[in-house]
Amino acid sequence: MRKKLNYKRMEGLQGYVFILPWIVGFIAFTAGPLIFSFAASFTNYNITSQMDFVGFDNYENLFTADNLFWTSLYNTLYYVLFSIPLTTAGAIFLSALLNQDVPGIRFFRTIYYLPAVLSGVGVYLLWMQLLDPGTGLVNTALGWFGIPGPNWLFDPDWTKPALIFMKLWSVGGGMLLYLASMQGVSKSLYEAAKIDGASSWQQFRFITIPMITPVIFFDIVTSLIGGFQIFQEAYVMSNGEGGPVNSMLFYNLYMWKKAFESFDMGYAMAMSWILFIIVFIITIINLKLAPRWVHYEGEER
Amino acid sequence: MSKIVLKNVYKHFDKKVTAVSDFNLSVEDGEFIVLVGPSGCGKSTVLRMIAGLEEISSGEFYIDGKLMNDIPPKNRDIAMVFQNYALYPHMTVFDNMAFGLKIRKFKKDEIKKRVEEAAELLGLEELLHRKPKALSGGQRQRVALGRSIVRDAKLFLMDEPLSNLDAKLRFQMRAEIAKLHQRLKTTSIYVTHDQTEAMTMASRIIIMKDGVIQQIGAPKDVYDNPENTFVGGFIGSPSMNFFDGRIVDGQFVVEDVRINVPEEKMEYLREQGFVGKELTMGIRPEHIHLLRGGEEAGQTNSILSKIIVSELTGAHTLLYSMLGTQEMIAEVESRTNVSPGEDVYLTFDMNCVHFFDKEAGIRIRPEKSEVLVG
Amino acid sequence: MEEVEVAAKKRDEERVASAHAYFDNIHTKRKLLSLVNFILLAAGSLLILSPIWWMISTSLKSMAEVMTYPPTFYPREWNWDNYIKTWKAAPFDTYAINTITITMLVVIGSVLVNSFIAYGFAKVPFKGRGILFAIVLSTMMIPGFVTLIPQYVLFSKLQWINTYFPLVVPAFFGSAFFIFLLRQFYMTIPNELIEAAKIEGASHFRIWWTIGLPLTKPALATVAIFSFNGAWNDFLGPLLYLNDESLYTLQLGLQVFKGEMNTQWNYLMAGSLLVLLPVIILFFFFQKYFIQGINLQSGGK
Ligand SMILES: Nc1ncnc2c1ncn2[C@@H]1O[C@H](COP(=O)(O)OP(=O)(O)OP(=O)(O)O)[C@@H](O)[C@H]1O
Ligand SMILES: [Mg+2]
Repeated sequence: MRKKLNYKRMEGLQGYVFILPWIVGFIAFTAGPLIFSFAASFTNYNITSQMDFVGFDNYENLFTADNLFWTSLYNTLYYVLFSIPLTTAGAIFLSALLNQDVPGIRFFRTIYYLPAVLSGVGVYLLWMQLLDPGTGLVNTALGWFGIPGPNWLFDPDWTKPALIFMKLWSVGGGMLLYLASMQGVSKSLYEAAKIDGASSWQQFRFITIPMITPVIFFDIVTSLIGGFQIFQEAYVMSNGEGGPVNSMLFYNLYMWKKAFESFDMGYAMAMSWILFIIVFIITIINLKLAPRWVHYEGEER
Repeated sequence: MSKIVLKNVYKHFDKKVTAVSDFNLSVEDGEFIVLVGPSGCGKSTVLRMIAGLEEISSGEFYIDGKLMNDIPPKNRDIAMVFQNYALYPHMTVFDNMAFGLKIRKFKKDEIKKRVEEAAELLGLEELLHRKPKALSGGQRQRVALGRSIVRDAKLFLMDEPLSNLDAKLRFQMRAEIAKLHQRLKTTSIYVTHDQTEAMTMASRIIIMKDGVIQQIGAPKDVYDNPENTFVGGFIGSPSMNFFDGRIVDGQFVVEDVRINVPEEKMEYLREQGFVGKELTMGIRPEHIHLLRGGEEAGQTNSILSKIIVSELTGAHTLLYSMLGTQEMIAEVESRTNVSPGEDVYLTFDMNCVHFFDKEAGIRIRPEKSEVLVG
Repeated sequence: MEEVEVAAKKRDEERVASAHAYFDNIHTKRKLLSLVNFILLAAGSLLILSPIWWMISTSLKSMAEVMTYPPTFYPREWNWDNYIKTWKAAPFDTYAINTITITMLVVIGSVLVNSFIAYGFAKVPFKGRGILFAIVLSTMMIPGFVTLIPQYVLFSKLQWINTYFPLVVPAFFGSAFFIFLLRQFYMTIPNELIEAAKIEGASHFRIWWTIGLPLTKPALATVAIFSFNGAWNDFLGPLLYLNDESLYTLQLGLQVFKGEMNTQWNYLMAGSLLVLLPVIILFFFFQKYFIQGINLQSGGK
């Protein structure tokens, strides 16, 4: 073993130079903050004057003395539990429709995908108008069918469905993901199935679905992580309050208010760690369950 | 222009796989060395160690007496042609060929001059402004060659450069590479699967198996005097016939067939104590002849065989039959008309056979000399 | 004899006829299915597009018309000056310039730095590459809010609050998703190409610049568009870090505008549309690169 720097080691060093920006960024913006926030979650840190160790007080208060914490957790779980199955199923259904030979299919794909690229305050404003009980399009349209529309964003029972409804509009993003993977399924599989006498539905159920399970898995994992972090729409559509009656007070919004409005940073960071742990456990469960239903063809790269 | 030496070179991957063991080679200036061997035997690995793309696990590698182990590829002054050409798809032919020169900070007009010279040599003048995508396979190969000659590198490495071409183009490019080498006289190492390429282009052939050199020698030498059964079987097509048997009473006995062995061969077999031992006899198909007319039928060396398959390959016909339970292929002139099922007399040209120690597979040499390798 | 032949012939004819019927049947069935599919997709497209039409239509109405019941689908008169009024009602030109500045910097940083990092992970062998890349991927699982609060602390200690640094600087240290996307793309470039360049005398940095960058152009376009979208639509970052109105971005400006306009839906919709327009235009011109990003994702997992 030569100890001096030979060119292969030099090459290795160059490799580190290439990833150096990421390493620095990882330490400064991810690992460092993680460690800091973990430590600070056991303090009464308020960014300016105090940072005293308080043990598990923050965590204890969260679980025992903070109703809003439970409300925000409930709201978030509600949103995740309904929006993810709906958007996943919707995206798969849509991609199945769009995976056919129909005139103008490229045009349709474009149309369905468009809402997925739109985001930000403009979209939230648009939906506030669409869902406006008096002047909005949604209730107008429901009125054509004689259905009296709810008060949506003004009715605590309907705010979360409203957000889920809005989420469904942009289901085209997931659709493209599924479409790409459906188009990767070999034609010969379908031909073999036809020879075996499978109907269109059976082909979809027993070939398409199993073949795209890796993407379903990927989609579910990422949208679960995303779903728990719902914030912007709730912030904008409730003017940063989480109302009415805290029905849009999602976990991150509550955390935001704790951190940046009352500057209860230690408390907020304890909240963030609870969220992290929840998301982590759910991801692990997902990974553990995956072998039961996710079908990987051939070996992994 | 250079001399290269590899001494006891080993390559281990992940500490488990040994891809190359104890590789020793000394190449004279201007030689054209061809590396052959079955897939996975370590040919590419040897080439890539010479290029500096793989680290040498142990051993030494010199160019012109200078140890190269720790020199990065760019400072080894070598050029390499890859199997899939590895042309930069976003650059024109000109830029592809000029790339190395630009990096080495050659003057603009010098680059132009050299690229144009190379392009002329390879007949690429008209294509200089095209991108690789707009070229045929043969043209791409030419560009890859051009790219490696513009730099006047000391050493020229080629890893199966012709294997992606069709048979006719391969034949043509083979001649062209040979011509190029005649002109430039750059020391070259060439890896191939194709025996014909090896036989026709090489000044010396290296046959490898499982990472170990089996034999090094001039093409004719390797063909005529294979060091062991592997080389005998690998070089030459159709493959050499091998028969297991033993020497009894001056005859080689294969099952129930007895063949007379010439006295000179008997002499050294006897001297080295192989009489009565298990041996393998190797004979090339072209050294098995068809006896016509039947008047020689009584001779000991004529063997009555039932032809199973007869294959016309052009100038020759291959006759498949059995010697006892062992397969035998004879290559005879195609004018001889033999049909399957026919019984014919075949005879062995016993002056051209080789005897191998059955266990070790090593050829028994006339003289008890030291092994000549390297 | 003849009778047998005739019978056989008849049988054959029947068989052919039934086969024809079978294929005709399949044909009509397929046509019908395709028609149903087309109708479904067309109806769905109208549904998907109606919010956007509603936004356009509302933005052109007078406030009186917005408030009429039932709402009108077409504006009775087209008040194009709504747009001018909207633009002048708030310092939208400042917002626009600010947003463009931030977005450009973020796009440049994302494209160059992520490409650099991804090259290192894909094409330069070094010790620990696999583990480090696994860490890159796993950071995608960390909920953003966990690092958001400590990052805020970091930036405030650096005196970066109320500057663009917190919005721009992180883009120059790589993002896990883009690194993953680009590495995926780099993996499709044969190693021989890199090796040939090495032998020609190029260093890895040179290879990245002269071969890596040009050959990954399509993937870089995807990164550019995604990061453009991200920076353009970012609401949370500016909300957290910018205090002076003169520094506001369009998203933040629109949120303020929303507060000022109350329910002046025509102006709000005009503002929203103006803010969304660049993204919509980008989408129609560079759809291919949006889709490619998605294909790279679905191929990767
Ligand atoms: N990077 C690597 N890691 C681990 N093993 C390797 C690596 N590269 C090559 N090997 C192994 O080393 C051995 C020799 O490979 P090499 O590519 O040199 O064969 P080859 O003679 O060129 O074969 P072919 O004719 O098919 O190109 C093979 O068993 C191969 O699996
Ligand atoms: Mg090889």
